[in-house]
Amino acid sequence: MNNLSMAFKNLKNNFSFYALYLLSISFVITIFFAFTSFSMNKVMLEKISGDGRVETMCNTISLFLMAFVIFYMSYSNRFFLRRRTKELGIYALLGYRKSTILCLLTVENLLSCFGAFVIGILLGGLFHKGIVFGITKLLDLTVNNSEILFFNLNAMIRTACFIFAIIIILALSNSRFLFKSSLMDLVRFEKNAEKQAKLHVIPSIIGFVSVILGYCIALDILRGGKSVWFTVGFYSVGMLTFILILLGTVLFIASFLPYMVQISKKNRKKFYTETRIITSPGFIYRMRSNSKTLIMLTLLSAATLTVSSVMALSLYYPIAAVSRIAPSEIECRIENESDISAIMEMINRYSSGDDISFLQTNIYKVTSTAKQLPMEYSIGTFKGDADNEKILRNAGFECISYSDYTAILKAQGRQKALEQFTALNSNECIFVRYQPASGKDETGSTYPLLINNTEIPVIVTMTTLDNPISFANSVGTLIVSDNLYHMISENAAPETKVLCVNGNSITGKEELFQALPAYLDGSPYLQGNSHRVHELISLNSSTFLLIGFLVVLFFIATGSILYFNNISAIADSKSDYDILTKMGYTNKKIKKIIRKQAITFFSIPFLFGLADCIFATLIYKTALMQNLLENSIVLYVPTILAIIITLIIYLIYYCMTVHTCCKMVLKK
Amino acid sequence: MPTLLEAKNVTKVYAKSQHPSLNNVSFSVTKGEFIAIMGASGSGKTTLLNVLSTIDTPTSGDITINGVNLKNLTDSKAADFRRDNLGFIFQEYLLLDSLTIFENIAVPLTLQKLPPQKIENMIRSLAETFGIDAQLNKYPSELSGGQRQRASALRAIVKHPNILFADEPTGALDSSSATDLLNTLKKSNESLHTTILMVTHDAYAASFADRIMIFKDGCIIKELFKQNGDRRTFYEAITQEIAKLDTER
Repeated sequence: MNNLSMAFKNLKNNFSFYALYLLSISFVITIFFAFTSFSMNKVMLEKISGDGRVETMCNTISLFLMAFVIFYMSYSNRFFLRRRTKELGIYALLGYRKSTILCLLTVENLLSCFGAFVIGILLGGLFHKGIVFGITKLLDLTVNNSEILFFNLNAMIRTACFIFAIIIILALSNSRFLFKSSLMDLVRFEKNAEKQAKLHVIPSIIGFVSVILGYCIALDILRGGKSVWFTVGFYSVGMLTFILILLGTVLFIASFLPYMVQISKKNRKKFYTETRIITSPGFIYRMRSNSKTLIMLTLLSAATLTVSSVMALSLYYPIAAVSRIAPSEIECRIENESDISAIMEMINRYSSGDDISFLQTNIYKVTSTAKQLPMEYSIGTFKGDADNEKILRNAGFECISYSDYTAILKAQGRQKALEQFTALNSNECIFVRYQPASGKDETGSTYPLLINNTEIPVIVTMTTLDNPISFANSVGTLIVSDNLYHMISENAAPETKVLCVNGNSITGKEELFQALPAYLDGSPYLQGNSHRVHELISLNSSTFLLIGFLVVLFFIATGSILYFNNISAIADSKSDYDILTKMGYTNKKIKKIIRKQAITFFSIPFLFGLADCIFATLIYKTALMQNLLENSIVLYVPTILAIIITLIIYLIYYCMTVHTCCKMVLKK
Repeated sequence: MPTLLEAKNVTKVYAKSQHPSLNNVSFSVTKGEFIAIMGASGSGKTTLLNVLSTIDTPTSGDITINGVNLKNLTDSKAADFRRDNLGFIFQEYLLLDSLTIFENIAVPLTLQKLPPQKIENMIRSLAETFGIDAQLNKYPSELSGGQRQRASALRAIVKHPNILFADEPTGALDSSSATDLLNTLKKSNESLHTTILMVTHDAYAASFADRIMIFKDGCIIKELFKQNGDRRTFYEAITQEIAKLDTER
């Protein structure tokens, strides 16, 4: 019998054992091939990347992807090698040379990888087509589908070469293992795997304290300007937090958890129960050889959760903030009165709807002599404080009338915002904040407005984040009573005239928005709600897609490694379950023990990853994202969704693991 | 003494085998007896132990232990029955590697839901009686084969089972450890009145029993009784009988 036929027989006889290996590497290759096809898809890249940004990202991510595939396949290979060490020892006992055994293993790997390659190419091609279809629909692109190849030959060659390189790496790693192990090592390898646990108090305490301290520092960011993040420096505190949590996670899992379980055994009432007496010592025992894997999985899980959560937040938040950045469907400045009719004519050319409203608002700049003025009063008035430093504004409140304000909100369909306002007296005003207040806001403050050299005090009755006009056209907006507005308008010329156009029939009319800049000479004051949303999706979708590839791969790897790890542990202690059955443990109780053991190993990476993700997202949101919207649970919906999806994926893997473990242990 | 176990016409035929592993076997065991089951490989000893201990089911016949007919037990009832009535000792010790010796012995007691204090008292007193109190906090991997097997025996004895089944308990032990274990079993039989059914190939081990059932081709072909309580005389009787059986093969 030659190596090829032996390898075939081995794979055939152990099909159920290899099925998951084949499935998981097929998945990994599917992702790799789909990604490679996408990064080689010139038609799509031309459409979504004009400046080579996506190509650069593809190259960077492809490096990550390759490193990850190599790591994952090495891990799986090591797992299967470990499970077969005894078998290999028997081959050696029968007189097989180590080179022959290595050859057998390599042929088996070649066969498995070939199977995975075929599946990966088929599914990957399909996946790639699906991605292209999704992006063209999402971005409303016109792509000739016949130009998108199902099997990109170059991508196939690159994938095949990569897999071949991996097989060589695996063969090298296997040869190192085989030639390093003596015959006795091979035969007794599985028995020698576990060593006695040494539980140390000091590393346990350091682990616990580091984690808690790391999370406390992360939470400190909520103190705003007073927090160490701003007083000491973001990057130094960030680095410290990262190191504390990393060190803490390692020591927490390797020392603190086993130590705590050991301590918990002293609670005799809880310990002497039919499940706990098996699971608690079992956990400590398993941690001896599995703590490194568990730490690696926890970090992987934290990275996956954080990336997916930050990604979801980064996509959703700017889109949600468009309601403030560009509240009207179309908004522009009127330089000449003739502009209005020209714009109306242009809009009517693109839309025949009768629901379109055109509202002109005159904004008056008024200065104030108050000693304490809000930051919006002078924002963007000097270099270094403006988004566009070529157009600096003059300091002052930008006044609009209460009637104009309510009319614009109504046209924008913001009925809910309207309900909170009541008509203003002459000495009252509503102040539009740029950012939500972190403490006390300006309500109750009195600002003396300088109108025709006379000071007229107005009291802020309320502040709002419902700005009617975009920040490109008005910052420091003060909504005054119609009487006061009338008085202001009689004494000065308006600073700016703004036209707000709203209506369902022009929503999403991208071609209309493309035509407007030509007429307005590329004015920076032209803003549009649905155009901005479309622009954000176009700009970010490729980034999210590419990161999405990595996240999916991380999920597959984490879940599969947990699966392999649990199966391995159960296989090693199969005889333990046998003795438990003989002692009188029912199948139900044994299932309970298996479930408990698996859930512990699944929940550590998930819960730790979840905590890391929550704190990392909090820091990202508070320190690195512009805060334009009020803190609301709605903003975290995408993050919660990302977490729920992760939880579902973990649950699926958990159920698969428990099912397989029970099948291995319980007799029918 | 009352009858504890009664086997009536027990037959076990495995699907792929032409001959029955147990062929119409009938016998009874009274409470407090120490019985050894001997026979060549494949004679049906382990099959008998499996069907008596509810691990396997007979093809036909009835087995009653402590008034309970094993035929009527469902899987979970059988598990409860093993928990409440049976103890096991195996050739490979089968201790749980992840648990200390103390915890290993505590498992059957927790299964019976005994209070923690009682569990600890029972284990400590038994460990002292049988001389393994110094090993209680060690893991199985830290003990010698003999010590592990004694721990395994204590795990079986501690819950005071109605019957203790031992399958080649001395098979993997050196002669000194084997004697220690057999003395432990004898002590348990005499002082705790544990009923013991022990499968063994070894005439020396069998000589610790009160009665010996010799199996061949699934049937009991001979029964030997310890007449005057002398182990040495009984050992000689067993070896003679085995030699006789060997010449008849």
